[in-house]
Amino acid sequence: MAANINFHPSEALLRGYADGTLSAGLNVVISAHLEQCKDCRDRVAELENIAACEWVESSKEMLCISDYDGSSEQGETNIIRENPTAKLSHLVTDITSHPQHREMNPGDESVTEIHMLDHSVRLPKVLARAASDGLVWKKMTSGINQASVMLDDQTQCEFLYIKPGAKVPVHKHQGTEVTLVLDGSFTDEMGKYQKSDFVMRNKTHTHHPASEEGCLCFSVLDSPLTFTSGLARLLNPFLRYRFSRATSMS
Amino acid sequence: MTSTKIGSFQLKEVVQPKHKANTYKVETALVGNPASDKTAADSDESLLIAIGNRQDTEAFNLLFKRFSSRIYAMGVKLTRNDQLASDLVQEAMLTVWQKAPLYDLDRGSAQSWIFTLTRNRCFDIMRKIKRQPTTISADDIWAPEELDVQLVHEEQGSMEAEVEKIERHYDQLPLPQRAVVEQIYIHDRTHEEAANVLNIPLGTLKSRLRLGMGKLKQLLRTEVDSNAGTTKVKQTLGRNGNAVNLKHGRNS
Ligand SMILES: [Zn+2]
Repeated sequence: MAANINFHPSEALLRGYADGTLSAGLNVVISAHLEQCKDCRDRVAELENIAACEWVESSKEMLCISDYDGSSEQGETNIIRENPTAKLSHLVTDITSHPQHREMNPGDESVTEIHMLDHSVRLPKVLARAASDGLVWKKMTSGINQASVMLDDQTQCEFLYIKPGAKVPVHKHQGTEVTLVLDGSFTDEMGKYQKSDFVMRNKTHTHHPASEEGCLCFSVLDSPLTFTSGLARLLNPFLRYRFSRATSMS
Repeated sequence: MTSTKIGSFQLKEVVQPKHKANTYKVETALVGNPASDKTAADSDESLLIAIGNRQDTEAFNLLFKRFSSRIYAMGVKLTRNDQLASDLVQEAMLTVWQKAPLYDLDRGSAQSWIFTLTRNRCFDIMRKIKRQPTTISADDIWAPEELDVQLVHEEQGSMEAEVEKIERHYDQLPLPQRAVVEQIYIHDRTHEEAANVLNIPLGTLKSRLRLGMGKLKQLLRTEVDSNAGTTKVKQTLGRNGNAVNLKHGRNS
């Protein structure tokens, strides 16, 4: 297991992961890093607690507004006339007729490996799942093979194998590129990256990676849009609610 | 009204909640010590434990009232769709009911537990709506820690045969863990029975059992490795050891 990991997801990314506002592709690559990084796992647990507190607080606000509107009879602001979930209380009887889970799901222990020339690389659990439909390797350039994985419609996800001594052509990014090193290492202008390192590059970086010893990594190219959606959490959910109602009516 | 009076009033008001907060924290930290387990009967945690330990539908009703509107709000925020938000209430609360026996007080508050579970159900609902590939689900993404494989009941037999040996190491286990290990392996109780006897949530019992067995495994390791006659224990504990390795990823 990776003893010292030098590069980790940003606080904003971990926050988005905890909040559930990121694309599936980013969630997967962050999850794969977390499986190997206790520090980030602990941080995510804290961020989940914070998010849960904010959640309870902000819904309190929303309910207060709805209570107030319910008693005040005056139109305009009373978008939520009554507690919208009051009509859902009938679900309780149905739900409690379901059996409960007494045991933790043991999970799928068949961890997929990727076979290299002289050794195999065991994939983090979530990547093994992502690759469970099978990987088709294609030659990208002379030194680089690529196998795409379809996870959602916002990101482009792929396993990349950079052969020893190969250089990736200089490139810039439209969106943001996240790379998780699974085996071996690569370098670029800003550093050397080893197993479990989480590297993020955006369009301000000109990026020229190369690998001396060879490198297997998982890379996620994310559209700029999904990154900013993490900021949406700053908006008052009530305002968001009203906004979505307004736009869906028009 | 003099300024000193105001000052003392303010001081009183500031000190009071601080004191309360501290007490609460201590109580939370000590939970599982059966004596201090009596948190408020209608706290989120107590309700969840009642649901998990004895399918308490009254408690579920209360928890539903408390959380359905919050879940609805999160649904609207993440999906921007009223119908999906209602679906989320149904699915998340069903998961709360189903997974309540697995709730683990040692790992966090009830509201955090319900928050993460709601976030996960929402992720799956959205993927279904958008018809995105089913290779991964929320439980694959947000479960890096759930690789812990708990000790299963079938292992009881071989454990009991070695209880005498293990007993020598008991003293070194923290009291709450020892109580749990005793209930399961000496009194031969089921996890549910033991949780009721000790008056702790099932999830807490399971995590204590895991911690306690991990500790025992550590203490026993030298003994086991140097003694071919204890392969049974080695097997039992080895499974737990595997789980630990698995959790950290690699070397099995
Ligand atoms: Zn990290």
